[in-house]
Amino acid sequence: MEELSRITVSQREQFLVENDVFGIYSCFNASDFASQKFLVEIQRDKQLDYLMDGLRKLSPSFSSLDANRPWICYWILHSIALLGDSVDDELENNTIDFLGRCQDSDGGYGGGPGQLPHLATTYAAVNALVTLGGDKALSSINREKMSCFLRRMKDTNGGFSIALQILTYSLIIRMHDMGEIDIRACYTAISVASILNIMDDELTRGLGDYILSCQTYEGGIGGEPGSEAHGGYTYCGLATMILINEVDRLNLDSLMNWVVHRQGVEMGFQGRTNKLVDGCYTFWQIQGIVTESIIHLPTLTGGCNQYLTASGCRDMCSCALRSVHGGGFRDKPSKSRDFYHTCYCLSGLSVAQHAWSKDEDTPPLTRDILGGYANHLEPVHLLHNVVMDQYNEAIEFFFH
Amino acid sequence: MHGRPRKASNPEDEEASAAKAVKLRVLQSQFMSNHHDKMYNSLFFCYRNLMIGSVSFRLLIICCLLDVLGFWASSYTKEAIELSTKLLEINPEAYTAWNYRKLAVEDTLSRIESDPDLFKSVLDEELRVVESALKQNFKSYGAWHHRKWVLSKGHSSTGNELQLLDKFQRLDSRNFHAWNYRRFVVELTNRSKQDELQYTDDMISRDFSNYSAWHNRSVLLSSLLARNADGFVPNQKIPEEYRFVRDAIFTDEDDQSGWFYHLWLLDQTVNVETPLLTSSWPSHGSRVNLSGSGGLNDSSSKLPSFCSESGSFPLILYFDQDVGGVSSSTVTIDSELKGNEDLVWEPVSNKSSEVSCVWVTRLKYTSTEPQKEYKVKLRIGNSPGIVSSRGCNFSSPYEFVFTAHVHDNVEGSQEGIVSWTDGFSNWDAQSVDLKSLVTFDQLNAHMDLNWRQEAIAEEIDLFRLLSDSKIGKLTLARLLVAEAMISDDAIKGVNYKEILKLYNDLMALDSSHYQYYKDEHTVALLHTVTSSTESLSRHLFQYSDMNNSVCLRLNKLSLSRIASVEKLLFVQMLDLSHNELHSTEGLEAMQLLSYLNLSHNRIRSFSALDSLRHVKQLRVLDVSHNHIGKHSVDTTRYLCSSPLSNSEWTQDEAGRQMPSLATKYWDAYFVLRDLNLKQLDISGNVIAGDEFSSFVTQVVPKLVWLDGQKVRS
Repeated sequence: MEELSRITVSQREQFLVENDVFGIYSCFNASDFASQKFLVEIQRDKQLDYLMDGLRKLSPSFSSLDANRPWICYWILHSIALLGDSVDDELENNTIDFLGRCQDSDGGYGGGPGQLPHLATTYAAVNALVTLGGDKALSSINREKMSCFLRRMKDTNGGFSIALQILTYSLIIRMHDMGEIDIRACYTAISVASILNIMDDELTRGLGDYILSCQTYEGGIGGEPGSEAHGGYTYCGLATMILINEVDRLNLDSLMNWVVHRQGVEMGFQGRTNKLVDGCYTFWQIQGIVTESIIHLPTLTGGCNQYLTASGCRDMCSCALRSVHGGGFRDKPSKSRDFYHTCYCLSGLSVAQHAWSKDEDTPPLTRDILGGYANHLEPVHLLHNVVMDQYNEAIEFFFH
Repeated sequence: MHGRPRKASNPEDEEASAAKAVKLRVLQSQFMSNHHDKMYNSLFFCYRNLMIGSVSFRLLIICCLLDVLGFWASSYTKEAIELSTKLLEINPEAYTAWNYRKLAVEDTLSRIESDPDLFKSVLDEELRVVESALKQNFKSYGAWHHRKWVLSKGHSSTGNELQLLDKFQRLDSRNFHAWNYRRFVVELTNRSKQDELQYTDDMISRDFSNYSAWHNRSVLLSSLLARNADGFVPNQKIPEEYRFVRDAIFTDEDDQSGWFYHLWLLDQTVNVETPLLTSSWPSHGSRVNLSGSGGLNDSSSKLPSFCSESGSFPLILYFDQDVGGVSSSTVTIDSELKGNEDLVWEPVSNKSSEVSCVWVTRLKYTSTEPQKEYKVKLRIGNSPGIVSSRGCNFSSPYEFVFTAHVHDNVEGSQEGIVSWTDGFSNWDAQSVDLKSLVTFDQLNAHMDLNWRQEAIAEEIDLFRLLSDSKIGKLTLARLLVAEAMISDDAIKGVNYKEILKLYNDLMALDSSHYQYYKDEHTVALLHTVTSSTESLSRHLFQYSDMNNSVCLRLNKLSLSRIASVEKLLFVQMLDLSHNELHSTEGLEAMQLLSYLNLSHNRIRSFSALDSLRHVKQLRVLDVSHNHIGKHSVDTTRYLCSSPLSNSEWTQDEAGRQMPSLATKYWDAYFVLRDLNLKQLDISGNVIAGDEFSSFVTQVVPKLVWLDGQKVRS
């Protein structure tokens, strides 16, 4: 392996990202106090302008998301809710109307009107409606049909995959009719079922075995058995296991070990071993750590924020990932902003702000919010990623 | 197709295909410009306008309509299939269109089964569409899934698929869709795992930072080693792999990929799949003193004894991993003690599942025939049934014998307050042989230790050279732990000293992961304490109650978690005060524990004491000076709302009458109602107060002492 001595592509890319981030940090440290304050401010107004614009009009480049339109609704609405704001009545009604058209007559939501129902877009649509809140939005979800849809997605014969050694699980969930099987399907189905109060044993049976088989020796969870551990899938697997009450079956020690090592020197998180840091993993990974700390050490312990530098990724989000345009967040400094990264950077920031707060009603300590209360974000529910107040309203609505 | 550049057979064909390409390009550009002209005005809410506007969207709608029609009429028009092709080449995420194609293809195939050439050409066309869709977006779930679906129709050529994959994997060597697909193809076509291993070799020498290749290497090797495929025996392959990964680590020690692979190797070196019995209580050859509720009447006796009001004592089995299937058929007991024919074994864990590493049953005894010795013999695993959660059988049958000495009963029971300051006497190593109480490490006799020890020793020597970096220190610490696991006491002692120092250094060096190192440090510290009779006896005392209870004092050690419990099963009294504990997780295995001091720790809520519900013998609990109630934080708020949130309930789920404040103090209620405490100290916590005290006295009917005050007589 003589060739090993030369620098690899990953190393060069990693070096470039570190360079960008540390450049921003050192620029920040060199600034006077007033400029620092300006640099870290989220700039609510600009964020809201960016987001509201997105709800009204999108550039042609978004056509590739044609089959993911409820996702755009969710990313934008959730970001707005995190900023403590909401949309006006007209937009709200339009959204409910639009999502209503995405709802299939046999249950579930498709990527757009007339498209087949898909679990991922179903999750996005339900979370978007929960985020909107109110009787009109919540009652627009057809729970009976949804229940049928989820059951239909539960593959009982394994389809073609049964022929393969590595995929011999007979009780798994597909993303859509004839669709692929992976851990996203488990999470989105269970998250929806849990929030809508339509979860039952039939739906959860066998899922634990499948998720367990996706945990790798590193401790993280892959998308399917045999796959490499990945931040997004680890979140899906962990959250599902908690929701179906089988989280103890995972190897939580090694999971924690894996997650803490995903935080890079830049303070951001990478999605997989030796990948570049990416803003969205701030949410996926930090969520994992916080969630696990809760189950693991039954309480949010004062010490558990030392498992990771929450403040570090908070700094990273606030100064390095905020888009230069004012509104929106990005993957890494060299990239441009988008709604997906805006949503998950803000969610991650919110978790970092609230993770160690004392209780639901106490605002987080000033030291936990970089840039002071002007940057305060609403707390989110860790397992569904919807704003806490909206979650509570939905639970009240669907459970009583 | 399949990514292989096709050679045009003659100039005419070449011309025709060029013309075709131009035409397609014109079509596409028309398509795209049309698409771009009509801006995505209000993508969501003006979608009616889009019906007129975006071609791609119109295509989609048409596909959907045709899809519906297809369902009705079971016929798929050529136009619709072509439209879906166009659409998918622009937007591979349009899963509805992929589904349409699947249905159309199945329909076609059912009609042309007799014609293999036609059959092939239909599927070829699908592979072509997938390939051009992947060129548009090679992270498209729908496109990769469609390709798997086509392959599962029995149409595949390993060579073509691997070539295509190689092309994509060169573009993005970390694309997990491609890697997943690769594993799928290999599995489907039974391609040799050795060839695949060679492929990871190539990928790694091209770019040793590529963790996806390292990961796949671990997956392949696991399977080859498990099958003992030609020449794949651990004692040769694992040392070879250490040498292989070494190059990558030593080339650039900041690169993570090699380190994680190294961690996997280490795991392969020390861990065995088959479950083992780690320890038991009583241990082999020990003598257990039993008495009735009053304890021994012979107070001069130095012998620690076990007393129980219920006239039974626990038998604890501790395995090295979670197992299921421990029952009276897998564990046979020959006992002179009467009435123990149908023993029920229970898993001790908070998990609802039927697996645990700790299993317990209760043996009955009566003190009517005093001063008598009874022999008890256990045989574990003679008949199959004990299985690890990974599905491995417990395959090393184990047998042990102990004697139970039943003592005279004394009338009247002791109700005095237990103090943690007086009444302790030093451990008398002469009169009580510790070895009869504790099972000290038994090395796994079934494991071939030589090559493992050699491999690890070699790694340790090498990694001492890298011990300036964080990851170097961490790996060295892990290697030393691994070596200690498979070595005798002398090596253990030396290693643990070094391990403690390494974690101390790491805590100072990398404060952002402080708590992680702190926990590892605690584990190493507890290993040190429990590694030999000498070190353990320094922490042992006898408490001068009537039973001469064995007291272990692990106070003021800044412990942050609980570990090494398997060596401490005999402990009746445990002092963990003045530490940094957040939770009692792990203590549930200590079934003999009657007195527990957790004062001056970092317990934040009663849920953190949940594991104590399994410690049936617990009578005295001191949780004073913790942080309970300081933060009304109910962390379970994220996981579930209070199970008692419905304030109209007056009975809990077990049908028990609930005290009025149970909704408010529900986490305390769930722990305390299952404990049979006589003495509780809660002072110095925010939750403490008159209201909570009155709640506690309702929930714990047998409580005599609360915060030093007698509440009942």
